Amino acid sequence: MELSQVRYFIALCKTLNFTRAAESCNVTQPAFTRAIQKLEAEFGGPLLFRERNLTQLTELGRTIRPHLEAMLDAADTATAMAAAQTTRSPASLKIGLAPGIGAACIAGAVREVSKKLPDVTIHFEESSPAILVEAMLTDMLDCALLPEFCAIPERLNRWPLYTDHAVAVLPANHTLTEKNTITAQDVLDEPILVSDYCGGFARRLAETTRLGFQLQRCNGAVAQLLDLVTAGLGMALMSDRLRYAAPLTTRPFREPELPRQILLTAVAGRPLNIAAASFVKLCRASAFS
Amino acid sequence: MLATLGQSGFLDNVLQPGHLFPDFMLPSAEGRLLSLGEFLARGPVIVSFFRGEWCPFCKLMLAALTEALPQISAAGATLLGLTPETGGLALSMKTYHGAPFEILSDVDCGVGLAAGVVFRIPPLYRASLGDKFAARQGNEGWYLPIPATFILTPDGRVAWRFANIDFSRMPEPADIIQAVMSMRRVM
Repeated sequence: MELSQVRYFIALCKTLNFTRAAESCNVTQPAFTRAIQKLEAEFGGPLLFRERNLTQLTELGRTIRPHLEAMLDAADTATAMAAAQTTRSPASLKIGLAPGIGAACIAGAVREVSKKLPDVTIHFEESSPAILVEAMLTDMLDCALLPEFCAIPERLNRWPLYTDHAVAVLPANHTLTEKNTITAQDVLDEPILVSDYCGGFARRLAETTRLGFQLQRCNGAVAQLLDLVTAGLGMALMSDRLRYAAPLTTRPFREPELPRQILLTAVAGRPLNIAAASFVKLCRASAFS
Repeated sequence: MLATLGQSGFLDNVLQPGHLFPDFMLPSAEGRLLSLGEFLARGPVIVSFFRGEWCPFCKLMLAALTEALPQISAAGATLLGLTPETGGLALSMKTYHGAPFEILSDVDCGVGLAAGVVFRIPPLYRASLGDKFAARQGNEGWYLPIPATFILTPDGRVAWRFANIDFSRMPEPADIIQAVMSMRRVM
């Protein structure tokens, strides 16, 4: 399979017209047609129905289109990334983070993109999964880290990055700090502060165990909730991937374990700018264990 | 599968001596972004495509290249391994073999496509690759590179290539070293 053959096929998918597609690729129609025929020979069947006034994709053509589109985009991006180092054009990288998902895990990838593209502007948006999904679909965000337990439309590509677990976040002098791990029974009599930005661990604990916990609603930013934990108002259940400053301390929460898979998501079939494409490739290539 | 690829003129699409190998930037096993141009600035570059850690022939090739690396380096060339595997598997491959050269993740086979070495695995053969194949590549496309190797001159042109649709056939490291040495004599 040759790059130009794939490029021609994708152009044809978009126009469904041999003449216009050949023109858009700057190639003569006979050469264009031969390239498509070669691709069909390699794939072992017709990719298009060639009818008098109606060209349309066959089932095989429809099946291979999204993957060839992604591969063509990967080829163009790899070349553009190499070129972008020297051109120094401004770029932006807009990443969404669902509640309770920190940027620490992806900071290395962001740093690497920034090193290669020094003029990049980095923008983080922390919001609910529904709002982040909407922002990606309307092109306000390039990509987002979402938890597995949320509605992700088919139009979004998703790649598992890592699995985080709950930790009990406690003030330094709390009696539970004497334990190495914390269980559901340990926290039955403890007030658990809950906000929309805690990652949903406390809600899942209550749903999983069906026990009556003292969940205390605390609307506002995570920093304010943690200030209240420091002041001794209660504890919090949050991700082990976040960083907690002293005097707060954490203990792993076990029984039940509350694992949460974090997915990198981006709109399928929509080419990303160089900075975002580099970031997504780095994240997909890496291990986050 | 090999017969189909052979009949479709697959090898005609693979970059040939004299062709320009397009510059690229890909994530390395250690999470850095590396470009072909950076390595070409230092001398000839050997670009070798590996199918993945699961492929026994690729493992043999990786071991043979690791062994031959001192001679490759002495000849002034840089070796780059490219694999379509994602999710840290390039690092696992590198660590397992103690490969002291860069292994890059060719995510979605983009560079493989530009080099003309990518083919689609027929449905009949997919079961033999296991149910984790799609997860390893981070897509459900079922594409793989043939195990091709290119030696590039510092201006990015293909000076020598090995490409065979039979995935059990790999280039001999001795041939690669000899090709690099003869290239340097010409330069």
